[in-house]
Amino acid sequence: MMLARVADSLYWIGRYIERAEHFCRLADIMLSAAVDRTDSAWLAARIALAALGEDRFAPEAAVERPADTVRALVFDREDASSVVTSLARARENARQVRDQITTETWERLNLLYLRVTAPGAQAAYEQAPAPFLHEIIADLHLFKGASDATMSHGEGWRFLLTGVYLERAQLIARLMDVCFGDAAGGFLLHDHFAQLSVLRMACAMEPYLRVYTAELQPRLVMQFLLFDEEFPRSIRFCAAQVQAHLSRLARYTDGLDGPSPERLAGRLSARLEFSDFGEVAQVGASAYLGAIVQECARIHEAVYGAFVAYPLEMRLPA
Amino acid sequence: MEKPLPFCTLAHSLKNGDNAFGRSGFGQVTVDTLTAPAKRLEPSEGSPIPSAPSGAPIGVEAPMYDEMFEADGQVRAPYVLLNAHIAKLGPAELEDRQKTLERSFLLQGITFTVYGAESTTERIIPTDLFPRIIDAKTWSSIEAGLQQRLQALNLFLADIYSRQSVIKDGIVPRELILGAPSYRREMMDLYVPHAAYANVCGTDLVRNETGEVMVLEDNLRVPSGVSYMLANRDASKRTFPDAFGAARVRPIENYPDLLLATLKSMASEWRASPQVVVLTPGVYNSAYYEHAYLARLMGVPLVEGRDLVVHDNMVYMRTTQGLRRVDVIYRRVDDDFIDPLTFRRDSALGVAGLFNAYRSGSVVIANAPGTGVADDKAVYAFVPELIRYYLDQDPILPNVKTYLCREPAELQHTLANLDKLVVKAVGASGGYGMLIGPHATQRQRDDFAARLKADPSNYIAQPTLKLSTAPCLIDGRVESRHVDLRPFILCGAKTVVTPGALTRVALTKGSLVVNSSQGGGSKDTWVLADSPGDHEHGQDYPQ
Repeated sequence: MMLARVADSLYWIGRYIERAEHFCRLADIMLSAAVDRTDSAWLAARIALAALGEDRFAPEAAVERPADTVRALVFDREDASSVVTSLARARENARQVRDQITTETWERLNLLYLRVTAPGAQAAYEQAPAPFLHEIIADLHLFKGASDATMSHGEGWRFLLTGVYLERAQLIARLMDVCFGDAAGGFLLHDHFAQLSVLRMACAMEPYLRVYTAELQPRLVMQFLLFDEEFPRSIRFCAAQVQAHLSRLARYTDGLDGPSPERLAGRLSARLEFSDFGEVAQVGASAYLGAIVQECARIHEAVYGAFVAYPLEMRLPA
Repeated sequence: MEKPLPFCTLAHSLKNGDNAFGRSGFGQVTVDTLTAPAKRLEPSEGSPIPSAPSGAPIGVEAPMYDEMFEADGQVRAPYVLLNAHIAKLGPAELEDRQKTLERSFLLQGITFTVYGAESTTERIIPTDLFPRIIDAKTWSSIEAGLQQRLQALNLFLADIYSRQSVIKDGIVPRELILGAPSYRREMMDLYVPHAAYANVCGTDLVRNETGEVMVLEDNLRVPSGVSYMLANRDASKRTFPDAFGAARVRPIENYPDLLLATLKSMASEWRASPQVVVLTPGVYNSAYYEHAYLARLMGVPLVEGRDLVVHDNMVYMRTTQGLRRVDVIYRRVDDDFIDPLTFRRDSALGVAGLFNAYRSGSVVIANAPGTGVADDKAVYAFVPELIRYYLDQDPILPNVKTYLCREPAELQHTLANLDKLVVKAVGASGGYGMLIGPHATQRQRDDFAARLKADPSNYIAQPTLKLSTAPCLIDGRVESRHVDLRPFILCGAKTVVTPGALTRVALTKGSLVVNSSQGGGSKDTWVLADSPGDHEHGQDYPQ
């Protein structure tokens, strides 16, 4: 049992840190790809840019001056999805539930926040952009590690992880839509370097190579990111995690109207578990991924309806 | 040539009769709660003689009491161990430890937020690494004095919110109580368990130039600072582990347990295991760190107004499992804001219907609404009388001499001595509506005299005060700074004084302002145990 507001905050901490981590990774890959003045490197850089949802810069200009682009993506406090904004929001939420998270977990996030908002942060970035981004990613891993290792694996921790996995599923779906969706013309991404870059954007290169070796094919890349059972960033894995956490939370939601978040998550998880690539090919990647993103949004709303913004008259104690 | 150790320099300069502030003296005083003790409290009022209230002339020349050094430069006994230890470390190491300390505060988020035009930054509450030390004997009289005072104040509150015999017996003027903005008519004839209106009290103490400990102010509303007391202790243990161990300092770490026990005892008559919550105005409040800290260490939910709902005069919190009953609310929100239906209508921080639920007895609010009337600046002057009236005892801790301008004779005295006195508006706080005589211009004094004559009952006057000093590390050098002392007293089924305190420091040279908003900082306070057994017992709260 915990305050509804606290559950809400923990859920959003999960979403924001996952978003910050993903954006750092995309920015890092864009930065390194843009250094190579080859067509395939530029293709990779444009994929990263599109996956970031970045529309302030014309693609050509953005790829031409990658450091400027990435600086804006990381530091712009006006931009609702910049890395610093995400980290500031995660930390602000953590501050509001400071009594509910362990000191070890809080200090990781606070330290990271202080580092990226320090007066010298931009200078540190200019001096060595890639290490700066790597450190943010490493710190976020430490945060997740600390929460796993020190927080009770109860309700609060489950809300945090529900946020992480739901956000991750949506981010990976968006990345795949950029690479393999209708706008990209389907499964035409045959460039070896670009495919490798996409795998790195999903933090999937090494796990992929272990399964499919260095033989890169759009079909296999997509199959891996969608359906792999063990890779923690495949959408199937994320859906299974969301379902697992929500089903443990569900014992708190008896007497609820409408589809429970647990049931929605179970449905999504089952669909991904028993689906195969043929189904994706049949309906098209954009339609398939779009349905997943839509399901994630419904789960999000159901979580709100069940745990946070429920009508009061239904929930008086007996 | 070897550099002299910092403390030797200080001791030396004190020995030579200089005060630590050079000739400029109290140059930059802009004082908030600054008031001056007379040398001794005059027990009977009679006719105040219009002469200087204290023996020493007002100003800077009079020697100040230093917490660590005797007037001749000798280190006071409780500090000998620490002094030896610090001398061994040397300035560079001290500076290092101060930096480590500040870093740990930043990391823990012991900060307040400064909202700027360009960016929002967070600053730590300035903290000084040298502890202030209080020996067992001094402490036992402080402890007894605080117990006595809070006991009398709670009896006073119970009285004015029921029979009002203190008014009927002519001890305190009727209009002084009933006319005070902090008096809550709504509290009349309301049952308060154990008659404990003020459950958490932080009393501001000061030492005058003779070393006498006096009460400057009672804080019975929502006193803060206890988390800094605990954070400072945590830090000073790591900064001076050897000296701490050898000094046999009384532990304060059980404060959260004691607080929880106190709060639970308020509902124990009707609930076996009461649900306690801490009510905060939210994350933008400057004391938010403390609210979260106490909730976390008590293991109870930290709620905001929007987390609570009142239904059928019961208070519930919105949880992920639906609504859950709340029994005790440790509120860190002012009276005015707790319930928009009863008090301020524009408050978004409170809970609609909370006060009615409280009146119906289904929930406890701690501290009770309306306690502010007992720490009112005008009522303050009567506290020694209240102690005699309710307890038939002499006050153990003296008050600072206070002139009530509502009395014609005292108004005359105040007007005649405007250049020596601090004059404060009764209802105001935070340094508003006050005059610091010695530092004002003739014109300001004339202006104030006119205001005094127009509305005398709104003002009190006190002599300008010389706070004691304690050594602090300032930019790598050891210098003296003025300090006060805020101990914390808990009162539920039982009254407990925590053997420690927040020592607030005016970090600006020569300043007497200890408020954190105005360049004030804090330091740890070591209360020494008198006998080996004190570590093990003496602080247990009977369940």
